[in-house]
Amino acid sequence: MSEPLLELQGLSVAYGGIAALEEVTLTVAQGEAVALLGANGAGKSTLVKAVMGLVAPSAGRMRFAGGELGHVSTRARARLGLGYCPEGRRVFPGLSVRENLEVAARVDKTTRGRRLDAVLAVFPALAARADARAWQLSGGQQQMLALGRALMGQPRLLLLDEPSLGLSPILADELLEKVREIAKAGTAVLLAEQNAAKALAVAGRAYLLEVGRVVREGPPAALAESEEVRKAFLGG
Amino acid sequence: MGGWISTGIRLPLIALAAALAAYPLLLGNPYSFRLATLAGIYALLAIGYQLIFGYAGALSLAQGCFFGIGAYVSAILASRLGWSFLLSFPLSLAAPVALAAVVALPVLRLESHYLALATLGVAQVALLAAVNWQGLTGGANGIAGIPPIALFGARVPDGSSLMLVVWLLAAAGAFLAWHLMRGLYGRMFHLVRENDIAAAALGIDRARLRLAAFLLSALYAGAAGALYAHSEGVISPGVLEFPVMVACLAMAVIGGSARVSGAILGAVLLVHLPEWLRVLERSYLIAYGAALLVVIIAAPWGLIGALERLRGHLLPELPPEPPAPRIARLRARASSEAARLLEVEGLAIAFGGLKALDGITLSVRPGELLGLIGPNGSGKTTLANVVSGLYRPSAGRIRFAGQDITETAAYRRARLGLARSFQSTSLVAEMTALDSVALGRAALEGTGLASALASGWRCAHLARARGHAMALLDGLGIAAFAARSCGELPHGIKRRVEIARALALEPRLLILDEPAAGLGAGEAADLRGRLERLAQGGLTLLVIEHNMPFLMPLVERMICLDDGRLIAEGKPAEIRGHPRVIEAYLGRTARAGVPR
Amino acid sequence: MELLQLTIDGVSLGAAYALVALGFVLVLNATGAVNFAAGDLVMAGGFAAVALAEAFPLPGLALLPLVLLLMAALGLVFSLLAYFPLMRRPPTAVFISTIALGVILQNTANAIFGAAPRKAPALLGEHLYHLGGLSIGRQSLAIVAVAAALVLAQHLLFARTQLGRSLRATAQDRETAEALGIPTLRMIALTFMLAAALAGAAGLLLANRYFVEPTRGNELIVSAYMAVVIGGWGSLPGAVLAALLIALFQVIVSAYASYTTATALLYAVLLAVLVLRPKGLFGEAIGRRV
Repeated sequence: MSEPLLELQGLSVAYGGIAALEEVTLTVAQGEAVALLGANGAGKSTLVKAVMGLVAPSAGRMRFAGGELGHVSTRARARLGLGYCPEGRRVFPGLSVRENLEVAARVDKTTRGRRLDAVLAVFPALAARADARAWQLSGGQQQMLALGRALMGQPRLLLLDEPSLGLSPILADELLEKVREIAKAGTAVLLAEQNAAKALAVAGRAYLLEVGRVVREGPPAALAESEEVRKAFLGG
Repeated sequence: MGGWISTGIRLPLIALAAALAAYPLLLGNPYSFRLATLAGIYALLAIGYQLIFGYAGALSLAQGCFFGIGAYVSAILASRLGWSFLLSFPLSLAAPVALAAVVALPVLRLESHYLALATLGVAQVALLAAVNWQGLTGGANGIAGIPPIALFGARVPDGSSLMLVVWLLAAAGAFLAWHLMRGLYGRMFHLVRENDIAAAALGIDRARLRLAAFLLSALYAGAAGALYAHSEGVISPGVLEFPVMVACLAMAVIGGSARVSGAILGAVLLVHLPEWLRVLERSYLIAYGAALLVVIIAAPWGLIGALERLRGHLLPELPPEPPAPRIARLRARASSEAARLLEVEGLAIAFGGLKALDGITLSVRPGELLGLIGPNGSGKTTLANVVSGLYRPSAGRIRFAGQDITETAAYRRARLGLARSFQSTSLVAEMTALDSVALGRAALEGTGLASALASGWRCAHLARARGHAMALLDGLGIAAFAARSCGELPHGIKRRVEIARALALEPRLLILDEPAAGLGAGEAADLRGRLERLAQGGLTLLVIEHNMPFLMPLVERMICLDDGRLIAEGKPAEIRGHPRVIEAYLGRTARAGVPR
Repeated sequence: MELLQLTIDGVSLGAAYALVALGFVLVLNATGAVNFAAGDLVMAGGFAAVALAEAFPLPGLALLPLVLLLMAALGLVFSLLAYFPLMRRPPTAVFISTIALGVILQNTANAIFGAAPRKAPALLGEHLYHLGGLSIGRQSLAIVAVAAALVLAQHLLFARTQLGRSLRATAQDRETAEALGIPTLRMIALTFMLAAALAGAAGLLLANRYFVEPTRGNELIVSAYMAVVIGGWGSLPGAVLAALLIALFQVIVSAYASYTTATALLYAVLLAVLVLRPKGLFGEAIGRRV
């Protein structure tokens, strides 16, 4: 079997003495969609941020596409092929939809135009509002925009941090359907999601985090029925 | 007394002060007396500035203006109207204080740069007035022939006598400022500066503290200005120009902010700097700027801070003996007779179109233990913030202990007995655990300037508050950490210090925002036990928590929020099996088929 | 007729103010830092023009590119000294460091050029056009034209180019911009360079008619700051518009009452705006961060 695209080994992160992640080991293969489940504060967001280089790990190794990530800057990680869709969307409010997408493609003008057309084709709702400022969009549209923006760099791995947060169930379903399409088309996805049912519908494999540790790993079917998932969220 | 001298950096400071006093006396020439006099005047100015800038943390740029106004008032009264010093001096203090009081209302509500530039605007107007109001101020030429200081009919001669008078006043000013700030009052400023929200939650009124500091800073500046006018004999609009302000700021920053001794050291150094840097001739102000830049980048704590660090590093001190615990009422204030302690009705709030709370109605009975859960972003902390007064709701009412508090300021709610803790730590890193908890007594001991002045030589307020704090720390099992700085405490201890601080307020209702976050299972269980004991003492608790194993056994009743709405309410076991709660957390599952 | 004459003068002064305010807002948006030395950068630009004119006796317009370049270099140095070492510290630290740099700039200018006011060459030579009862200086027109061209260039850079989008994205959310591969540190340094160049241009424009002296920056920073507050914190068009209004107000009220009255009234307006409309007169700034 070839080397996984993303490989975390014994990854730990601490904020001011509080352990947010403890010895997490996780892999994502080329083109695989992996869900990261867990209650609030379980460490999902921290893990995604650590992969993106936005928080510094206190221990452990990270490898991506065959290289060490340890001392690579956040910006360089983006260029290596990590596409980041942050928690809370964080679109650039004063930029138009088109500009939000364009700014994320660090390539020549023609390629940029091609990618823009491709992304707008995936999200017709965004194409319809291409000249609107991002702050004028609804929450669902902003989330689409954040997702589209992450795709503009043509990532090999898409990191999604709680994309369904604050969306109505219908919008959340619609969005995760897009994620599923993206994964099907061959982009690997690491999806941190509190909404277990939705995430499991998208992913081919899932990890369950509890207080910073991986407590379970497996195919969606096994986790969906698991008492552990219920316990992680609602206590026992 | 020996112990008092050897603590902190008092010994080197005393030696330094002696050396500084000896320097002009040994040189004995008129010029060195003049410089020392000027240093004393600037020391007064900078001590005053320390109060508003160092302690209150407000970057006022009006200090130079207050100085200039003091100088002009003295000059006009003494030179034009022939008033005696003892009559003109108080007016020279009163004038800038009056101006400060007038501009305080609009200006002090502003933050950082808003405040800085608004105060600069005030200063610019004063300068323009001095230049253009020729009849009164002599315009660009200024006022000459200002008589020297005369006390009880006797002129104070230039040289060592004038120096002595100025430094006596500076010493009196320094003592007053030091005495004000060394007790509970000074610690309130520290908390307000570092975390004004936590201060409000303890019933500390930030606006009032800032006003007091601003007025006092004007008082000191007026005194400095008056002394300057009399000692120079002539003034020009230059006293109102920006370089005075820059010099004052540089003295405070370079000496060490929030330290009275820093202001004095900064003043002495910077007044002599041009002397020692004679090679630079008139460009010594470049050196001022460069020194300011270097200190702000490399040593933001200033020279006094550096000395303190050095002492802490070379000769670490034993922590002081913790005070004996006072018998604090660990139990809550007698709850009101009302059947409901807290009543929230139809509460709504939106941020940028997003409804964070949407028609929340709930109530808490006296003595009840209520849990509040909900997925990320469901509005739990927002609810705590609205109830404690940090946000104003767009709709709905809040009643507490039979009183409508919807419009009441946060610090007043705290004084009514509504206490809370925060999700992220809200302690001041450099403050000891003991003093952090003692600050919880601030509202009960009195937060005003008058009460700080009346506190007496022994700082009775602080001593009493520390006694209570010690009892609370003991009650939460962390008495051993009393003398440690909060910044170096382990996370679990910090959380307890925060709970102890909220309890020091003697609250009727305590809202805890994720008290178990980041705690290990053992720590969480221990905390739960202590909270249960407090509840048995009559304390009413509202606990926001994700950690279900922690929360479920603790509370009697639970409420679940989702998307800003209340979706379920009941006993913990009921909530756990509630289909809407499961849906909120886990999402709709194909198998469950829960109706929405 | 007199009012019309004053309006023309006011617009030409306002055009220069607009450049100062623009530079101030660019840095503010990119870093959250208030550049207290913005006025001193204008002063530095004015003296750069004076010094260059001594070396090359050319009209101001020919010196403008050189001033822009020199000031951009100064802007880079400025960011390296006053901003980057303090990036992770509270905003007050940066504010004080810019005060310190302002003091250094002022006194360096004083050491080199002395305290007396100096005059830079006019943009295209001095000439008065007579139009009915109006006399319009060629310099006034040239100031408006040059300032308008610079504002337009800045606008096009920001609106139409990938560099401009990157600058704006950095200003709106630095962490996210970095995570999308945008070199945000370079963008911030570039913003400082741009701001200093705009301030320098304003210095060249102002130093002919209004002269330049080392302490000139103190009033200018207050004017620029007022424009930014009144125009809505962080809003570029608001700042430009407000700068024009402020200059008009200053020129007109000074003519009928006095400069002191005009300035005092302006400060009163500033305080009123701060208290009553903290978001400025022209509504909420776009892309403002909480």
